[in-house]
Amino acid sequence: MQHLYLLLAVFLLLNLGAGMWRVLRGPTAADRMLAAQLFGTTAVAVLLLLAELENSVALRDVALVFALLAAVTAIAFVRRAWAGTEDSNDTR
Amino acid sequence: MTPGDYLSAALLIMGSLFFLAGTIGLLRFPDVYTRLHALTKADNVGLGLIVAALAIQASSWAGVVKLVLIWLLVLLAGSSVSHLVSRSALHRGVDVWKG
Amino acid sequence: MNKARQEIDWWTVLSRAMLFSIIWWALTDGADGSWLIGGPVVLCALVASVALRPKEGIVWRELLFFVPFFLWHSLIGGVDVARRAFHPRMPIAPELVEYPLQLPPGLPQVTLVNIMSLLPGTLGVELEGQMLKIHLLDGRGDYLSGLKRLERRVGRIWVESADDFSRG
Repeated sequence: MQHLYLLLAVFLLLNLGAGMWRVLRGPTAADRMLAAQLFGTTAVAVLLLLAELENSVALRDVALVFALLAAVTAIAFVRRAWAGTEDSNDTR
Repeated sequence: MTPGDYLSAALLIMGSLFFLAGTIGLLRFPDVYTRLHALTKADNVGLGLIVAALAIQASSWAGVVKLVLIWLLVLLAGSSVSHLVSRSALHRGVDVWKG
Repeated sequence: MNKARQEIDWWTVLSRAMLFSIIWWALTDGADGSWLIGGPVVLCALVASVALRPKEGIVWRELLFFVPFFLWHSLIGGVDVARRAFHPRMPIAPELVEYPLQLPPGLPQVTLVNIMSLLPGTLGVELEGQMLKIHLLDGRGDYLSGLKRLERRVGRIWVESADDFSRG
């Protein structure tokens, strides 16, 4: 099982790397925002696999914090990245 | 390896394949809306399967609940973000790709 | 805002106290000593959640029925999008449609928008009053019946505690 955890963690990291191509290339700002989504989910999966590999409760808690922050950072990111012209019907 | 281990291994591999599908969709799909479909749905199923696999291996019930909690948080983040990003894209006039 | 003056029903308080206790227990991996802090934390969370509670209440029984429905259909959603992504010819026919909502505004609508993005082929894009813009991955299929079913289910989970809730 230990080998499988490590193998899949590496596989998911490669996945993340491939996804970064889209994030860097765009073409729209919305495409770049997909990074928030991609990172959130994949990082949590990798951390959970590593936690199992190392048998470490602490790493699993890191995954939990990542999951919590994923929502907050992503929303902040979407708002910041479009800052300026947009959203007349937002509550301000 | 116990039967539980085999089940876990199968779930882990399937989960990773869903992550791969999400990334392929992210690279192949033609516009931001369709890419959001791929990323949100495939990655969340992928994480769900990985969480299920690790829950089988968990040594305590508290650990299982914590795993499920993590998955639910990611689900919430994923669906909210896909809504926010697609809404912003529409406001900014990003066209919907049609065939 | 006389809704805030409503009576607090004890079943709600009890079920939330249990929910927060379970979360604390899971977060601390069931460590006994942690309840010295966990007790007050659960109490604070309980007070905050009752004070800030929305006007809608959850029907736990319906939520319980919803879980397997959601798990199954989100799995189908993942398989469906994965199949299209891997398929050499990439069979998609995206479309942006408007869908008139029956659900009342607030939590029921927000829940619907969030859930639908995890289910097959639909992405909740924009909510404007009773009109929801939905992005479809494949507009050729029948998406309406699925949406209506989901909407009915979500409507049964949230009930407005006020008396003006007339929808079945």
